[in-house]
Amino acid sequence: MSQPDLNNTMATPETRRRVSGPFWSVLSTPRIAPYLQVMPITAVFLVFFLIPVILVVVISFFDYQTYDILIPDFTLMNYQDVFSSSVTYETYWTTAKLSLIVWAVTLVLGFTLSYFLAFHVRSRSRQVVLLLLCTIPFWTSNEIRMISWIPLLGRDGVVNTVLQTMGIVKQPLEWLLYSKFAVVLGYVHLYTVFMIVPIFNSMMRIDKSLIEAAVDSGAKGWQVVLNIILPLSKSGLAIGSIFVISIVMGDFVTVNVLGGGQVASIGKVIVTDLSSLQFPPAAAESMVLLAFVIILIAALVKIVDIRKEL
Amino acid sequence: MSDDNRKNDSNEHGGLSRRGFLKGLAVAGGAAAIGGINGIPSVYASEPVVLRLLGTGVTHYKEIADQAKKDLGITIEFTTLNSDDAVKRAITQPTSYDLLDSEYFALKKIIPSGNLRGMDVKRIKHYEDIVSIFTSGKLNGKMVSSQGTAPFEVSYLDGEFGRKFSAKPTEWMTVVPTVYNADTLGIRPDLIHRPVTSWADLLSPDFKGKTAIIDVPSIGIMDAAMAIEAMGKMRYHDKGNMTRGEIDKTMEILTAAKKQGQFRAFWKDFNESVNLMASGEVVLQSMWSPAVSKVREMGIACKYQPLKEGYRGWGIGLGIPSHVKGKTLDAAYEFINWYLSGWAGAFLNRQGYYTAVPKTAKQFMSADEWGYWMDGKPAKSNILSPTGQKVDAPGSVRDGGSFDQRMGAVACWNTVMDEDRYLVRKWNDFVAA
Amino acid sequence: MAHGKRSPAFYWLAILFGLFVLFLYGPVIVIAVLSFQGPEGGLTFPMHGFSTHWFHQLFAGQSIGDISGAFGRSLKLGLVVMVITTIASFLAGLGFRSRFKGASAIFYIAIASLIVPSVVISLGIGAMFELLKIDRTWITSALGAQLTWTLPFGLLIMFAAFNRFNKSYEEAARGLGASSLRVIWEIVLPILAPSLLGVALFGFTLSYDELSRTSQAAGALNTLPLELQAMQTNATTPVIYALGTLTTLLSFTVIGLALALAIFLKRRRARHGSDAVKTA
Repeated sequence: MSQPDLNNTMATPETRRRVSGPFWSVLSTPRIAPYLQVMPITAVFLVFFLIPVILVVVISFFDYQTYDILIPDFTLMNYQDVFSSSVTYETYWTTAKLSLIVWAVTLVLGFTLSYFLAFHVRSRSRQVVLLLLCTIPFWTSNEIRMISWIPLLGRDGVVNTVLQTMGIVKQPLEWLLYSKFAVVLGYVHLYTVFMIVPIFNSMMRIDKSLIEAAVDSGAKGWQVVLNIILPLSKSGLAIGSIFVISIVMGDFVTVNVLGGGQVASIGKVIVTDLSSLQFPPAAAESMVLLAFVIILIAALVKIVDIRKEL
Repeated sequence: MSDDNRKNDSNEHGGLSRRGFLKGLAVAGGAAAIGGINGIPSVYASEPVVLRLLGTGVTHYKEIADQAKKDLGITIEFTTLNSDDAVKRAITQPTSYDLLDSEYFALKKIIPSGNLRGMDVKRIKHYEDIVSIFTSGKLNGKMVSSQGTAPFEVSYLDGEFGRKFSAKPTEWMTVVPTVYNADTLGIRPDLIHRPVTSWADLLSPDFKGKTAIIDVPSIGIMDAAMAIEAMGKMRYHDKGNMTRGEIDKTMEILTAAKKQGQFRAFWKDFNESVNLMASGEVVLQSMWSPAVSKVREMGIACKYQPLKEGYRGWGIGLGIPSHVKGKTLDAAYEFINWYLSGWAGAFLNRQGYYTAVPKTAKQFMSADEWGYWMDGKPAKSNILSPTGQKVDAPGSVRDGGSFDQRMGAVACWNTVMDEDRYLVRKWNDFVAA
Repeated sequence: MAHGKRSPAFYWLAILFGLFVLFLYGPVIVIAVLSFQGPEGGLTFPMHGFSTHWFHQLFAGQSIGDISGAFGRSLKLGLVVMVITTIASFLAGLGFRSRFKGASAIFYIAIASLIVPSVVISLGIGAMFELLKIDRTWITSALGAQLTWTLPFGLLIMFAAFNRFNKSYEEAARGLGASSLRVIWEIVLPILAPSLLGVALFGFTLSYDELSRTSQAAGALNTLPLELQAMQTNATTPVIYALGTLTTLLSFTVIGLALALAIFLKRRRARHGSDAVKTA
C-alpha cells in the first residue's frame, strides 16, 4: 500500500478558490464545525426515527382488546406480559444463542477474509474488485434469493443431489433446510460482508511500516497478525460486531424463511403480534429488545471505545 | 408510468374526526394540531379518475385494471402488499387508499376503527344477485356453517358510518365480495400411497416431516382443530371461536406434533405453499384452489382433496374508506358495479375462485368452462387459466365438484377469535417450543 | 506488502476467499439455472425443459405486479439514498472526531435505529405521515425510512475509516497554511476514498434490498422488494429469477466497464506523465 503523496495533494490555485469563502469559513470554525457536520444525520434521525419511536413508546403503554386495537391508557400490562411469560426468556435464549454462533462465525470469517484483502491483495483496484464481487449477489433482491434456498438446500436440492451422487450420503439431509443450521447458514451468508467492510476499513488504516518493522525484526506471520493486526483492527471488529448482533437479534425474515417458521426469534414474536394487529404488546416487545441490545452494545463499546481514536 | 400523475382528485381527505388507531396516536403524540382540513374540493374535474386500490396479489390482476380502464375510463392503481402489510395499512393509514380489498375476518378489526364507510346497497346494481351466503347467510335456502366469521355476520353495518355490525341485512354493506372459496388439503398423489379422506391426516404420523400448516394463528389453529376433531381427540363448541381451555388443549396437541417433527414448514403466502408442494418438501397441507392449479400447471400431480369433515371457507371483499367522497365515491361505486357485472367475475372464476354474482359471470364464460368450474361437470376441452395455461384436460372433473357441493360443505370460516389476544401469545409459545 | 513472493498463507487464504465467494453465489447460481426453466417450470427443481421464455415474459409485463416500474423506483431511490448516506455519514464522521456535546446521544440513537425492529419503525413513520396529512410516497416517507437504516451503517463505517486516521498529514498541511476545508478536500477525502466507496455501496445495496422499513412508508407505489413480496400472494413464476439473472449480469457488465475505463485512464495518465506533481 502506498501512502498518499503529500506533494501530490497540494492544491492548485483553482481549488484554493473553490473551497474558500465566508460560508465555508464558518463551517470550518473548529467549535461550530462538529455541530454543523452532524446536523444532517441528526435531522434524519429526529424526524424519521425519534418521533416514530416516541409514538411506539407511548403505544407500549396502551391497552388493547380483540376488536379495539388501541385503547389510550397508561398500563404496564404489556411489559408485565413480556416479563411474566416463560416464552420470552426461551425466545431470548434461542435468539441470543443464534446471535452468538453467528457472531463468532462471521467474526472469524470476516477477520480472515479482511486480512486477506487488506494485506495479501496488493493493488487497491483488485481490493475494490473483490469487495464488489462480494456485493453483487446482494443486488438480486433478498425476496428472490430467499426462495432459491429451497432448490439449493431442499430435499431434492442441489446440495443434496451432489452429496448423493458423490455417495457421501444415502438419504437426503433433511436438516439442510428448515432448521437452526439453515438459519445460521443464512445469517453467515448475509452478514459476513457486514463484518468484512468495517474490519477491512480499519485494517487499511494500519501503518504498514509497523508491520514491516516487525517482519524485519524477525516476527513470524502469525505473530504479526496476533500482536499487531488484531489489536489494531479492534475498532473494526467491534463495529462489525455491532452490525451483526443488532441485525440478528431483531431479524425476522431469515429466521422465518430458513427456519421454516418453526424457529423462534424475538423479531418473529413481534411480527406475529403485529400481523394480528396487536400493536401495544409488539411495541413493548420492541422496547425490551431495544434495551437488551443497547446494553449489550454499551458493554461492547466499554471494552472497545470505537470513537476514542478517531 | 403513473409515478407522477398520482391523482390529486381522489385525495379528498375526509373531514371525519380521526378514529381508532389515529385517535390513539393523536393522544400519543399530543398531536392536537390535527386540524379539520376538510375535503379539498376537486379542481381537476377534467382529469381522469384514479382509484388507489389497496389489497393483496390475490385479486390484483393487471388484466382487471386494464379492462376497467377500457370499460369505465377509470384508472385503477393497485397498491399490492402481502396480507399482513395490507391490513396494517388499512387500519393505520386510511387516507392512503380509495378502495380496500379486505378479508372478511379482518373486518372485525377494521370496522371498529371507523375506517370503512357503509356502502349503500341501493347503489349496488347487482345487489339482489349477490350469492346469498353473503346477504342472508344461506345457500339454496339452507344456513351455511356459522363457525368462525361467517361472511354474513360481518356484511352489514348499523349505519353508513356505523362501527357495529348488524345481525340483519341493512342498507349499509361493509364490503362487496370479490372472491371467496372453500379450502381443503392439497396432496401430492404421486408421493402419497394411500387414500386421504380426512383432515386427521394433517397430523398423521404417516406423513411425518412432510406436512405444513399456515403460520397465521387464527387460521392455522383452525386447520389443526379440523384435524384434531377428525381424530376424535377433542370436540369443539365452535372451532372458529375457541375458549381458552380449547386453545390450550389444541396448542398442546400441536406442540407435541411439532416436537415430533410432524411439520416440514409453516407458510404464510400463497406462493410459499406452491413452492413447498412443487418441490416435494411437503406432500400434504391446506392450500388454495389456484395454488393447486399452479402446481398442476407445472406438470406435477397435485390433488385438491375433498375431505369428509368439509372445508374451511374464506372470502375477500371490496370496501370504501370513510374519507372518500364526491367524484371519487361515485367512481368507487361505478368500479364495484362493474366488478359485479361479469367480466371480472368470469376472470376470477377461471382462477378457481368464486365470484359474488355468478349470474353475470356466466355470460362471459363458455358453457364448458362454466360446467367445469361451477357445475362440477367433466371438461369437454382443455381448461385454461385466464393467462392461457392448461389447468385440466378434457374429461377431468374439478376436485370437490360443483359450487354447491363445495361451498355447501364449508365447516368453518377464517376468523378472528374473541380470545385472539390469548391465542397469539399461545401461538408464539408454540413456535418457540 | 512489498515482498515479491507469495507466502503459502496467501494461497490458503485465497482458497478460503474463493470458497466464500462460491457460498455467496450459491443462490445466485441456482437462480441463474432456474431462470432458464421451460414455460411450464416453477421456482424449484425439477427443470421442465430449457428456454428463455421467462426473460421474454419479464419484458412482456406480468399479470400480478409491475416489476419494471418497481425496479425503476428502487434504482432511483437506491441512488438517492446512496448519495445522501455517503455525504451525511462522511460529514458526521468528521464531526465525531472532535468531542462535542450530544455526541454520545447521537451515537446511541444511531445504534438504536439499527436495533428497533424495522416493521415497528415503518408503522410509526406511516402513521406519523397520516397524522400530519401528508401523502406517503416512495421518494419522501420511504426515503426517510430507509435513511434510518443506512445512516447507522454509514456512520459506523466512517468510524472504522477515521479510526487511527493519521492526523500528521492534516497537521502538515495546516502547517503549510491550508484552510480546514482544503485539508478535508485535498487530504482527507483522497485518503478516505475507498471507505467512502464502501459506504456508498452499502447505502445503495441496503436501500435496494430494504423491505420491512419501507413496507408501511412507501405510499401507493411499491419499491422492488415490496412488489416482489406482494407477488408472493399469488402464484409467482421464474420471471423473478430471470430478473435476478439479468441484474447480476448487468452488475458484472457495469463493473467490468468501469474497471476497463479506470485501467484505461490510469494507463493514459501514466503515459502523459504526472502533471499533478508539476503544478504542485
